[in-house]
Amino acid sequence: MANMDSDSRHLLIPEGDHEINPGPMNIQFDSSDIRSKRPFYIEPTNIVSVNDVIQRVSDHASAMNKRIHYYSRLTAPADRALIAPDHVVPAPEECYVYSPLGSAYKLQCYTEGYGKNTSLVTIFMIWNTMLGTSILSIPWGIKQAGFTTGMCVIMLMGLLTLYCCYRVVKSRSMISSVDTTTWEYPDVCRYYFGSFGQWSSLLFSLVSLIGAMIVYWVLMSNFLFNTGKFIFNFIHHINDTDSIPSTNDSNPVICPSARSGGHPDNSSVIFYASNSELQQFEKWWNKSKTVPFYLIGLLLPLLNFKSPSFFSKFNILGTVSVLYLIFLVTWKAIRLGFHLEFHWFMPTEFFVPEIRFQFPQLTGVLTLAFFIHNCIITLLKNNKNQENNVRDLSIAYMLVTLTYLYIGVLVFASFPSPPLSKDCIEQNFLDNFPSSDILSFIARIFLLFQMMTVYPLLGYLARVQLLGHVFGDVYPSIFHVLIFNLFIVGAGVIMACFYPNIGGIIRYSGAACGLAFVFIYPSLIYIISLHQEDRLTWPKLIFHVFIIILGLANLIVQFFM
Amino acid sequence: MPNTAMKKKVLLMGKSRSGKTSMRSIIFANYIACDTRRLGATINVEHSHVRFLGNLVLNLWDCGGQDTFMENYFTSQRDNIFRNVEVLIYVFDVESRELEKDMHYYQSCLEAILQNAPDAKIFCLVHKMDLVQEDQRDLIFKEREEDLRRLSRPLECACFRTSIWDETLYKAWSSIVYQLIPNVQQLEMNLGNFARIIEADEVLLFERATFLVISDYQCKEQRDVHRFETISNIIQQFKLSCSKLAASFQSMEVRNSNFAAFIDIFTSNTYVMVVMSDPSIPSAATLINIRNARKHFEKLERVDGPKRSLLMR
Repeated sequence: MANMDSDSRHLLIPEGDHEINPGPMNIQFDSSDIRSKRPFYIEPTNIVSVNDVIQRVSDHASAMNKRIHYYSRLTAPADRALIAPDHVVPAPEECYVYSPLGSAYKLQCYTEGYGKNTSLVTIFMIWNTMLGTSILSIPWGIKQAGFTTGMCVIMLMGLLTLYCCYRVVKSRSMISSVDTTTWEYPDVCRYYFGSFGQWSSLLFSLVSLIGAMIVYWVLMSNFLFNTGKFIFNFIHHINDTDSIPSTNDSNPVICPSARSGGHPDNSSVIFYASNSELQQFEKWWNKSKTVPFYLIGLLLPLLNFKSPSFFSKFNILGTVSVLYLIFLVTWKAIRLGFHLEFHWFMPTEFFVPEIRFQFPQLTGVLTLAFFIHNCIITLLKNNKNQENNVRDLSIAYMLVTLTYLYIGVLVFASFPSPPLSKDCIEQNFLDNFPSSDILSFIARIFLLFQMMTVYPLLGYLARVQLLGHVFGDVYPSIFHVLIFNLFIVGAGVIMACFYPNIGGIIRYSGAACGLAFVFIYPSLIYIISLHQEDRLTWPKLIFHVFIIILGLANLIVQFFM
Repeated sequence: MPNTAMKKKVLLMGKSRSGKTSMRSIIFANYIACDTRRLGATINVEHSHVRFLGNLVLNLWDCGGQDTFMENYFTSQRDNIFRNVEVLIYVFDVESRELEKDMHYYQSCLEAILQNAPDAKIFCLVHKMDLVQEDQRDLIFKEREEDLRRLSRPLECACFRTSIWDETLYKAWSSIVYQLIPNVQQLEMNLGNFARIIEADEVLLFERATFLVISDYQCKEQRDVHRFETISNIIQQFKLSCSKLAASFQSMEVRNSNFAAFIDIFTSNTYVMVVMSDPSIPSAATLINIRNARKHFEKLERVDGPKRSLLMR
């Protein structure tokens, strides 16, 4: 048999008389698994001329094509065993599509990665998805942990969650026997832990979603209340000098929790005994008693939609809100100046110590703040250059850490401490600005709109996951969906009425769902896959068990704080 | 004449995950059922019910399980497995990191062969060569071949390097089949005569179950060196489609202004493919020629008598 090596390695031996290339047709390729459909090749038929040997395609390419066609008939489509590996099939740039008339053209959109997003877009998407409402609690978290400790904890948590996220991204590559190209992280959990893995990952995912939705409800009631109050005061020209300690200048900062705290109340209490209009207003527009219920009429109908794709168009509001918050914080910091004093262990009247033992509250908040592990695989799938995935992920995490540090440090540092104590920093730092402040009013409006558009999306995700797994159908009937929605809304309303501390809700739900997705699953799966390959070493085992213990400690300690 | 001897085996052995199931599936056009992508080793020998070269049955066996259970089972079942083995095909994964272990298992198989079937032919396939860089393939294969030859003494083994992603797998199995046919030179001579008589461009003889080329005669130099494997793949695919309709493939004629090709059942274990480049010769003429030749070749098979003709039923 002839020597194969003399075969030309080129796939296409160019011929002189190509037809004018009409340009690529609008062929849509399902991007979910392009590999199983390669190569695209239709044999040219010898319609044109009889005797000259017009070599359209080299024999090597033709043979490979026939081989791949044949092998694809031997297995089920999902079985990866006989799908051509990358080193065997030519690079995508060398693949041509043939029309039966003999012309060949390259596909413009056929790139190696499954997606077409540049690194910049991917980094932005990760940053955008990760930055959520926990940004409002970061200054409070820093206050709970102490300034120095807070900064160190933020950076360390960023690194730790980045490492766990890296483990999540790499988890699919350790599975060699099955085709994992369409898998998300819960599928990986199911592969390793069976149906226990599937159900537990579903449960923890729901914990994070429902926790987020409760936080949203509390915040929305808060913002709606403040907006309404601002508008009312603006219309009726009421100067809102409540009996709350605040700074007496053009950039007021208030300390709402001191009203019920032990601070001596020096300012006078102003009675509006004769102003029944205001009394009526305050009766019907109360942050914890009435406003949460008004929201029901607004949001419950939105939750019942089958497909919330309409709301995803408002995704840009999230970015705008974050950017505006950054601007707001910078502006306030410039106006208020820095007020920092370093006391290491003892609290003073106005300042908190640098190192406090309540720092686990910050780690709880940060677990949710840096949480993206259940959808990072999908986000990175669309990266054009897949080999840059780890680099882009690290850059995104670094940017998120910087954003949190920036906002947290600036708010904390610029909080006017001589008149007010740093302890006054609220779990939602916008609460530290009175409802008459224009800039924070704008911030609240932005955030209110943004949350109203994200809330149905979150509800949809939770519904799809729970009802999809329990009933098998994403929309079993309007009654199931209504009951589910009532349950979620009810939880939100109850929390808004009785426990509107978003810092608390965030840290509990963050530590709980982070336990599974951030700490336990990635480390455990890595240990197991190494063990299956006999590559497990003692240092790696100890390190990852340590991570699991950290996660458990993180959750347990939340209940003691 | 019924063959009173027991069925002879072709033993396809190798470590688990070395590629035997894929190989069998490709050569014999079997579907791989999803559940055979198991993570553990085969406990029982997998019998394939494909008749191969007449009276040969293909058995698949995973060698080298991780635990002592496998070792014990292997030793206790050894005589059973290795009795009546006509051919041993041992598959080595070129990427394996446990060369010592591989060689150890190979040697135990050879011992069993020496005891139970010392006349068996032994073939070693160094598989998954596509995972090795191109410029290193020859070197690595030569090393392995030397080691295997050395280890196999006093038995003789023939080594091939294979990969399912190029033509080497097909060529290796074709060579194996070629060596298993006792009167293959005579067959080739007769095939050449036949081709010249009917003025064909090329005549191919395929093994029936696998469409591996046993013998080939070309009057003119053919351009495409991959044509054997390509034809085999095309026909195997067609056979798969036919089997979905519970039909079986019998014959095919392909014709255009340049050539006419005929694929037809030949003897009880072979198919023939005749390629005529003179399209003016009517099909009927060629088909009659093929039919007459069939009788002759069948006599040729029977002439070799009851003694160990692998082409006998």
